[in-house]
Amino acid sequence: MDPDQETPATADPGQPPSETAHARRRQTEAEAVALVAAPDMSVADVPPELLAQSLGQYLRASWLRIRGGDSGVMPVLLAMVVVAVVFQIITPEHSFLRPSNLVYIFGLSTVYMVLAIAETIVLLIAEIDLSVGAVALIGGVIAFKLVQQPGAGWPWWAAIIAALVSCGVFGALQGTLSARLKIPSFIVTLAGFLLFSGILIVALGGADGSVNLNTSDSNQAVIYDLVQGTITPVASWILLVVAVGIFGTALWLRAASRRRQGLVAPPKSVTAVRIVLVALVGAAVVVVCNVNRGTSLKAVQGLPWVIPIVIVVAGIWTLVLERTRFGRYLYAIGGNPEAARRAGVSLAGMRTWAFALCAATAGLGGILLGSFFYGEYSTNTADPGQLVLYTVAAAVIGGVSLFGGRGKALHGVLGGLLIGGIAYGVSLLNLGSLSTPLQYILPGAVLLAAVLIDVLSRRGAGSVTRV
Amino acid sequence: MSEVTADSSETPAGATEATMVADLTAADEAVADVPPELVAQSLGQYLRASWARVRGGNSGVLPVVLAIVVVAVSFQIANSKFLSPQNLVNLFEQSSIYMLLAIAEIFALLLGEIDLSVGLVMGLASVVVAELVQPSGANWPWWAAIIVTLLASCAVGALQGLLVARLRMPSFIVTLGGLLILEGVAIIVLGGSLVGIGTSQYKNELVLYNIFWGSLNPVVSWILLAVVVGATGAGFWLRDARKRRHGLEAPPRSLTAAKIVLMAVAGIGIVVICNVNRAHVGTIEGVPYIIPIVLVVLGASTLLLQRTRFGRYVYAIGGNPEAARRAGVSLPAIRIWCFVLSALISGIAGVLFASWQVSLTTNIIKAANSYVLLAVAAAVIGGTSLFGGRGKTIHGVLGGLVIGGIYNGLYLLGVSSQWIDVVVAVVLLAAAAIDVLSRRGAPRQA
Repeated sequence: MDPDQETPATADPGQPPSETAHARRRQTEAEAVALVAAPDMSVADVPPELLAQSLGQYLRASWLRIRGGDSGVMPVLLAMVVVAVVFQIITPEHSFLRPSNLVYIFGLSTVYMVLAIAETIVLLIAEIDLSVGAVALIGGVIAFKLVQQPGAGWPWWAAIIAALVSCGVFGALQGTLSARLKIPSFIVTLAGFLLFSGILIVALGGADGSVNLNTSDSNQAVIYDLVQGTITPVASWILLVVAVGIFGTALWLRAASRRRQGLVAPPKSVTAVRIVLVALVGAAVVVVCNVNRGTSLKAVQGLPWVIPIVIVVAGIWTLVLERTRFGRYLYAIGGNPEAARRAGVSLAGMRTWAFALCAATAGLGGILLGSFFYGEYSTNTADPGQLVLYTVAAAVIGGVSLFGGRGKALHGVLGGLLIGGIAYGVSLLNLGSLSTPLQYILPGAVLLAAVLIDVLSRRGAGSVTRV
Repeated sequence: MSEVTADSSETPAGATEATMVADLTAADEAVADVPPELVAQSLGQYLRASWARVRGGNSGVLPVVLAIVVVAVSFQIANSKFLSPQNLVNLFEQSSIYMLLAIAEIFALLLGEIDLSVGLVMGLASVVVAELVQPSGANWPWWAAIIVTLLASCAVGALQGLLVARLRMPSFIVTLGGLLILEGVAIIVLGGSLVGIGTSQYKNELVLYNIFWGSLNPVVSWILLAVVVGATGAGFWLRDARKRRHGLEAPPRSLTAAKIVLMAVAGIGIVVICNVNRAHVGTIEGVPYIIPIVLVVLGASTLLLQRTRFGRYVYAIGGNPEAARRAGVSLPAIRIWCFVLSALISGIAGVLFASWQVSLTTNIIKAANSYVLLAVAAAVIGGTSLFGGRGKTIHGVLGGLVIGGIYNGLYLLGVSSQWIDVVVAVVLLAAAAIDVLSRRGAPRQA
């Protein structure tokens, strides 16, 4: 294997020099390691914003950080490119990247995005919620049942609030069991998964039951339109301008105020590049959505409602996680629960809240799922087991760590889009009898791959000390 | 926390007090920690020592035996057919799958890991074994089909074990991803249609079918019972006698005798129940083959865990992996072997499952997944800890009986399957809560 070791075995005189060469090489290697490791480690640990004075420095700092194992959103972005290219090549008639398909993927992905954001909250504190799928679906059924006419006939907003609150209560119950009794969360939520899956079937009225929205009723149509409805192309552009304007101004003003007060802030060019990138991505999405994807008789075009909805959800959770005490406590617990406890954080309280908010957010995902399936909720469209696996895979592949303390709402969005793309891409292929098994194999393989990357990147970061 | 803020003079006082309390509890703890066999000289002392141990938080099989009694009494009250010989044999048969899967799960739980794929290893194994004996397909002899199925199961376990042991991926994620992949593979092997082993004119199918549905004849059942009780009894007695001869600590003679008698009584009870004719028309009587099969798996895994170095290493890792590593135990090797054994026993369950279901469909494979929860619930109800280092394979058998009883009883009452799932979920939660609380009660392991 090693040429240095194989040759000297036959030639006696050659051995001593080669051994010294070996030793010398080892020494230089050690020096190189020492040179690279120590400064790189410290660089890799600090966010690049804190060191860089210019765009070039920022990019270099980011690169060092990725090499140090903290790869952030890089893997998921790369994976998206790979998935897009591969499916574009192998789908019949190269249809994967057609605007109509892309919008369909956005719609499907929003379910995974919202669920992955929900799961992220729990993953941040190094717990897991395996019941998100089942709880989300129950949330959807509750909302759908409450707007039925004849039936409860609640206004749509009240139905949605009631659904989210009930999901929150389910989550709080599981969180309490896990946090107060210290039962491992995967056992509590595994039981929760079974429990809520059973209740879901009961709520749907048996294994063949379903709940449908009647779109001729304007109240029910609102929920139907969450994913199926669109805003006009002109309104889409206006919305884009307003959203990018608000986001850009906020980012710019915050960086400026930090600079004014002498705090560490990213260089102006980095802020500008970020704003431009967001604007470009937004413009691309609007262009894709504004292509007519209906028939020649009935045009369907414009941004689906669900895209601004998901952006709002992701925005709220980003603010909560990064700008509030609650968010900081979550990261603190995930990083080191004992340290957080000694700093005065109520572990049980925070954990219960995390599970409650996870479940409430998941409930919204369940409502979106029903709307995505054209307002029909049935045991065929709603498979809680598959949903939770896609969710965990989406969060982990997006960059959220299973071991706590690392992750953002954005990761859930990106991971959800990737999973949605893969799930839909496979369904576009004509696989015949293989398509059913692939529905199981694929999420399993993606989940394993995502966790493998998580484990290996943590090992690269040198922070793994599990026995 | 209070000591940090308190005046420094208070610290020594607090410390002494704490030591005293610790000393006091230490005495109790010592009693609670030592197996009662080692301190007791007579049956009475043994019972008292056991009681002290139960009070100390190490309740062993007591809760599950109580649970069996509660399940039996309450379902018998709700439906008088529950304890009829016909239904009891039915219940044993159904429980045998839960028992095997629970034993499989215990190999993972003892390490402090979990194997969520046992249900689908079983599902995949059942499809493989059924496909291999198809006269129109592979047409293998039944024994070759079973051997290959079990080897395939071991390979699955080894793969998952590798990911867990070498890469230190969390086992519940590896086996969660694994079970999905297995589900897909099983559907591929199934080939989209159903596969059956119910054609009695083919010998290989018939043998497979009889594994679950066949019985020993009543006379052979009695002979087998005598042999089993004789062999185990002699084994117990001789081992204790040898220990006594060598001056080692051994349970009192009366205790050994009591154990053997209990075993014989339980065995006789089962044989009597099984020997009642349970057919509506014709004659079906005798001990079903699966009872000796479960006993063999139970015996082999008990010997492996209690009497070999491998078993001691498993408990050592479950108790404290770092300590085990420093003592020179190869953690990855033991972990991989445990996952292999778990998959092997799930594979055996798969052969039984194929025989039980007679014909397998995609929906049955999907349903196989829910068995993992029952397996975890059975193991934990039986007294195996979720946190590693505590448990025996007999726990799986007893817990499996409870789960089987609940399923069977609710089914008799006409409860629909989704509500049965709900009940099982609650039982699983209750078992996990008892596990957690009993660990809290045991002072040393808190």
